[in-house]
Amino acid sequence: MCDLIQQAFNRRQALHSAACGFGYLALAGMAQGATSSGAAATSPLAPKPPMIPPKAKRVIFLFMAGGVSQVDSFDYKPEVDQHDGQMRDFNDARNVARTGKGAQSRLMKSLWKFSQHGNSGKWCSELFPEMNRHVDDLCFVHSMHTEGVAHGPATLFLHTGSTNQIRPSMGSWVTYGLGTENNNLPGFVSLVPSMGNGGPRNYGNAFLPSVFQGTAVGRAGIPAKDAEIRYIANDRRDDDEQRRQFDLVQALNREQIKDAKNESDLDAVIQSYELAFRMQQHAPEVFDLDKESPETLAMYGIGEKETDNYGRQCLMARRMAEAGVRYIQVNYSDNSNNPAWDQHSNMPKHGTHAKAVDKPVAALLTDLKQRGLLEDTLVWWGGEFGRNPFAEKNGTGRDHDPNGFTVWLAGGGTKRGFSYGETDEFGHRATENKVHMHDLHATILHLLGLDHLKLTFRHAGRNFRLTDVAGNVVHDLIA
Amino acid sequence: MRSLRVITYSWLAVVGWLVGTGAAADNDPMAFFEAKIRPVLAEKCYSCHSADSKTLRGGLLVDTRDGLLHGGDSGPAVIPKNPDESLLLQALKYDGFEMPPTGKLSEETIANFERWIALGAPDPRIGKAAEKRTIDIAAGKNFWSFRPIAHPEPPTVQNAAWSAGAIDRFVLAGLEAKGLSPAPDADRTTWLRRVTFDLIGLPPTLAEIDDFLADRSPHASERVVDRLLASAHFGERWGRHWLDVARFAESSGGGRSLVFDNAWRYRDYVIDSFNRDKPFDQFIVEQLAGDLLPHKTPAELETNLVATGYLILGAINYEEQDKQMLEMDVADEQLDAIGKGLLGMTIGCARCHDHKFDPIPTSDYYALAGIMRSTKVITHENVSHWVERPLPMEPERAAAVEQYDAQVAAIEGKLKAAKALFEKLTPKGSMPAGPLAVDSLQGIVVDDIQAKRVGAWRESTSNTSYIGSGYLTDDGEGKGTKTATFQPEFKKAGMYDVRVAYAPHANRDAAVPVSILHADGEFSGTIDERDTPPIDDRFVSLGRFRFDETNQWFVLISNEGTTGHVTIDAVQFLPVDAMEPAKEQKPELAKVDDASAKTAIKAKREMQSLQKEMKALQAKAPPRPKAMAVEEAEKIEDCPLCIRGNVHHPGPAVPRGVLQVATTGEAPTMPSDHSGRLELARWIASPENPLTARVYANRVWHHLFGVGLVRTVDNFGTTGELPSHPELVDCLAARLIDSGWSTKRLVREVVLSRAYRMSVADNATARAVDPDNRLLWRMNRKRLDAEELRDAILMVSGQMEWGCGGPVSNTRGNSEKPESSTEYGHVFTDVRRSIYTPAFRNRVMELFEAFDFADPNSVAGRRNTSTVAPQALFLLNSPFVMDQAQLAAERALAEAELTDGQRVECAFRETLGRKPSAREKKVALAAVKLDSDASAEARADRWERLFQALFGCIDFRYLE
Repeated sequence: MCDLIQQAFNRRQALHSAACGFGYLALAGMAQGATSSGAAATSPLAPKPPMIPPKAKRVIFLFMAGGVSQVDSFDYKPEVDQHDGQMRDFNDARNVARTGKGAQSRLMKSLWKFSQHGNSGKWCSELFPEMNRHVDDLCFVHSMHTEGVAHGPATLFLHTGSTNQIRPSMGSWVTYGLGTENNNLPGFVSLVPSMGNGGPRNYGNAFLPSVFQGTAVGRAGIPAKDAEIRYIANDRRDDDEQRRQFDLVQALNREQIKDAKNESDLDAVIQSYELAFRMQQHAPEVFDLDKESPETLAMYGIGEKETDNYGRQCLMARRMAEAGVRYIQVNYSDNSNNPAWDQHSNMPKHGTHAKAVDKPVAALLTDLKQRGLLEDTLVWWGGEFGRNPFAEKNGTGRDHDPNGFTVWLAGGGTKRGFSYGETDEFGHRATENKVHMHDLHATILHLLGLDHLKLTFRHAGRNFRLTDVAGNVVHDLIA
Repeated sequence: MRSLRVITYSWLAVVGWLVGTGAAADNDPMAFFEAKIRPVLAEKCYSCHSADSKTLRGGLLVDTRDGLLHGGDSGPAVIPKNPDESLLLQALKYDGFEMPPTGKLSEETIANFERWIALGAPDPRIGKAAEKRTIDIAAGKNFWSFRPIAHPEPPTVQNAAWSAGAIDRFVLAGLEAKGLSPAPDADRTTWLRRVTFDLIGLPPTLAEIDDFLADRSPHASERVVDRLLASAHFGERWGRHWLDVARFAESSGGGRSLVFDNAWRYRDYVIDSFNRDKPFDQFIVEQLAGDLLPHKTPAELETNLVATGYLILGAINYEEQDKQMLEMDVADEQLDAIGKGLLGMTIGCARCHDHKFDPIPTSDYYALAGIMRSTKVITHENVSHWVERPLPMEPERAAAVEQYDAQVAAIEGKLKAAKALFEKLTPKGSMPAGPLAVDSLQGIVVDDIQAKRVGAWRESTSNTSYIGSGYLTDDGEGKGTKTATFQPEFKKAGMYDVRVAYAPHANRDAAVPVSILHADGEFSGTIDERDTPPIDDRFVSLGRFRFDETNQWFVLISNEGTTGHVTIDAVQFLPVDAMEPAKEQKPELAKVDDASAKTAIKAKREMQSLQKEMKALQAKAPPRPKAMAVEEAEKIEDCPLCIRGNVHHPGPAVPRGVLQVATTGEAPTMPSDHSGRLELARWIASPENPLTARVYANRVWHHLFGVGLVRTVDNFGTTGELPSHPELVDCLAARLIDSGWSTKRLVREVVLSRAYRMSVADNATARAVDPDNRLLWRMNRKRLDAEELRDAILMVSGQMEWGCGGPVSNTRGNSEKPESSTEYGHVFTDVRRSIYTPAFRNRVMELFEAFDFADPNSVAGRRNTSTVAPQALFLLNSPFVMDQAQLAAERALAEAELTDGQRVECAFRETLGRKPSAREKKVALAAVKLDSDASAEARADRWERLFQALFGCIDFRYLE
């Protein structure tokens, strides 16, 4: 069987020098979507030139599922404190959606004290003490607003630009537009995603070719240390046995396409095995944190009870960014219908969640910066919506606020130590320089070198895009 | 008006130079426009609402006077001298529309606009309003798919010997016109594997291969086809094709994914319909309007109801809070499924504007939407729910249910009597009164002092029967300002009975509002605190709810809207599985005289034994089958046209109706007392409808040839592809109709054609002329779909369980977390045919995911066929594939009398339907070769690897 192994080796070498994607060389699926040339396509995941000069090459999205309260974190509103306990008329989003009108609600002050930070003198609460050290690198958007009052619709909107329709997720659009830089790894990874609130649709390719599907690594509820690409490892067979099995399949395959020289779809099967085998050897390294120094692990809070899980995810994100993964989503989530940050009643729990993410996120920023990666990596931190400045049902928690909330961006060509947009005096609704989620999507695509109006895909007879028929690039956020 | 004057005059002070000193707005309104209005329009509005806009929004131009007066999709923007009625002003005030979207203009600027409109909106800008494109339906009907179905004569061909029938003559004529000739016939084993997978989704067995090869009669192929058509597996294969089109799934997907416990009934209905070869027109009518059809037997009624599940199976965000929008989303989803699935039309495009490409005006969309909106498919609460209807029962089952109900009623009667007797003998207050320690109670108890309190509650002990440390009272004051939130910490997920303890009194409120956030949504209810609590004089139960360890859950009690006093003592969360009637506290009877005490104890015992009896009875309750099925809405009404698709901007109502462009002759009349679904169904299922039969016949062709004659199988509109053989499409559609819409007859005719028999052999000349094989110079090579792959593996391993139908989707019994109401933790264990594998939207079996299972979120008439590395990883490393290979190896080795050479031949025939080539055989024998003293285990391992390699190889995955 020596000659067979030799053949496999030659092919492997040839592939190594070729620019190709996550095992996707010639794809029947792709050919169907593209023009019907009938010829084997080059990899749809091969890097593509941006449409406009890019500021960022990749995205790390730190998803705070459930919705962080802006008035308890970064949107400082002394009026909430001053008028604590007073009843006011608010256009509460849930009430408006259900009844068409708002209701009287009781303003509720923050449990966390605000003070100024950094050279920019940014007012932040003590909820995220570690992140606060980085305010001079952050670009805050305080005037976010979005669609959907409940988690499902709003989470889908955040990821796909639609509350209900079946649309590709943002990471799929980005890899569709730019391809990926590492052919041993997927171009779009979602770390330990939730199965709730849209589940796989939040990293799904919808009608885009399946090569642009996000790869889930682990899933919510499983510790990050156990997260890996599915079936990347075989714990029943040692390396030698795996190699022999691989060679056996390929020997049969080659025999079977001997007489089919022009059949690119059959050749693609052989190539998919080659790439799978290569991935199997290289991809696990990216997720292996053992090679990191004790100082680095400590900086991310790995080994500490509260921060171990998210710390691992953030460090994996950095390693993936280094390895050239295009779109990395780091989920702070669970499988609940009322995920993580969803404090309808128990505001102090915000503190628990903050503790879990604060140090890891700060470490990620430090790490990216010291490695020069923050220059071309866009970090996006935020949830699907914010929380109301007033008490839900006059109780002790805060309901969802899709009409005004805060996200921050860092690196990737965004302004540093900058705050944009405003909410009203209580932090409830965006008023000045409003930024819709569609606008944020358009802006992120723009930073990556993609024109959101031109990044389209033809499906069911018309062109679709991430921003539907809306979205404006917010140039003021760009350095 | 006074304030406006002030603004106007102050403005004049600043920009007086522009309009001339002393010129008030009233005197020179045009100057006012130039100074105050035009700059704002130009700066804030022109980017989206002018002739130069990249994309014009809402069809509204504000860069001309006509544009403003004429308006956009929502009607005139400005009505001169009438600021209140002018949409422009409302939008600026963020009343309805919110313009400009980046932020509200200053009060002063808005006042200027109000003033300007009051002045008659003087505006020197001449120019036309945006042109409204109108759709020419009559012209649209000239497009091929809207023309009546023709009955074309098969063309004459040169090579008459090749063509077996009409189909072949159409195909051959196309080839001959380009100077091409058809590929030679495939060999018999190839044809057998092809037709067997295509008709029943399974590989041929060794016996079937042998029988066919031995049958040299000219009717051998017909015999095979007729055997396959008669097989119960035919419905499992062709039913699955329809389930792709029907976007079938067993959970709602959307945001909060809810399990459809009864969706399997629809699946089984579909399989059964194909096995019976139900006429396709009848199949359509049942699915759209089965509930409105007459029926002779209960079974017929059941079929008719279950069929309408088709309208409910879509991916819906039931937790959407804007219920008006949700209803429109549901109708939209239905129209999308009907449009693409039955008519090959992307109707959904017309929700927001006239279809840009097809002759479908928005009014057609809302004409159809009115039919759907007049159909009840959803009931509303915080998390809304689809409609389920009870199914008729066979006499025996009905009798069992009746008997059960009678037994329950009898026990209830006895219980009531025993309870009354007991209560009479042990008057109120005889239950253990006084303080009760929290830890003396079962479950999780949150005392009032642990609750998060808002407002001035007073701690009281006046009523001495309290739990823990007294109870809270609002003293009947500060209504609407006080709440108490109870946050239990659950260590274990599950169902809990939620009970609230309060201190009753006549002065208490009769409707104290309580809300509960639980894992399945939100509950709101009230408590009457005037009466003694029914459970142990302490608690009132609010019902059973699911909670989990994420502990986001709470019970919130408020004094909002109350008039009487509100008291709160504690909240108890009692795990349902721990609830034992016998464990209730023993009554304290010392104060009562002996005779009564004995009777009372007896009564109590009887109560307990009756409760036990009831529980036992309930455990064996006969099932009351329900189906996802629609009914007519209470109100039958036309749907208003939603401007730009926004349900909150209703335009005029559109009379219910059907697509004009696909209507030949008279359009159906819509009844005033019915939704019109039946009329719609009959219009779609009519032989006169130009789309239905064409679309369906093309689907059949697509499944058999791998590619449709119209390749965009779900899109027959102008943006779809044109047919490669338009006359053949019509020929097939006409034959379908003429055969009484028989799927089996159409399938039979196609697979017995010479065209279907062609091999996949390459041909350089033909490839150069027609690289995509549109003209069918050879057979297309088809990749097995996910179900075929899995079923074939299970057949070779001998593990397939040949059951048919029934529920397996109940995740509760098959989940990592049995308490869960979602599919997230579902464990896929069953080894029945893949069509019976639960098809959840948020949790798809991994093999299915890897091999392009139909996206159950929308109509998927054509599946992807990707070739990607994760498939290779799955075949190399998944426990499923390795386990099945091991089992297949065990089977192979059990045939002790065979030589390895014979065994290899069998393995190839079972997996690939053919014998190995000489070289394949050499590779295989090398792979299993071992020294003669090797262990049985090592030998089994070698054979396992060979089977795994066969499952992974190209010829297993492709049909030639």
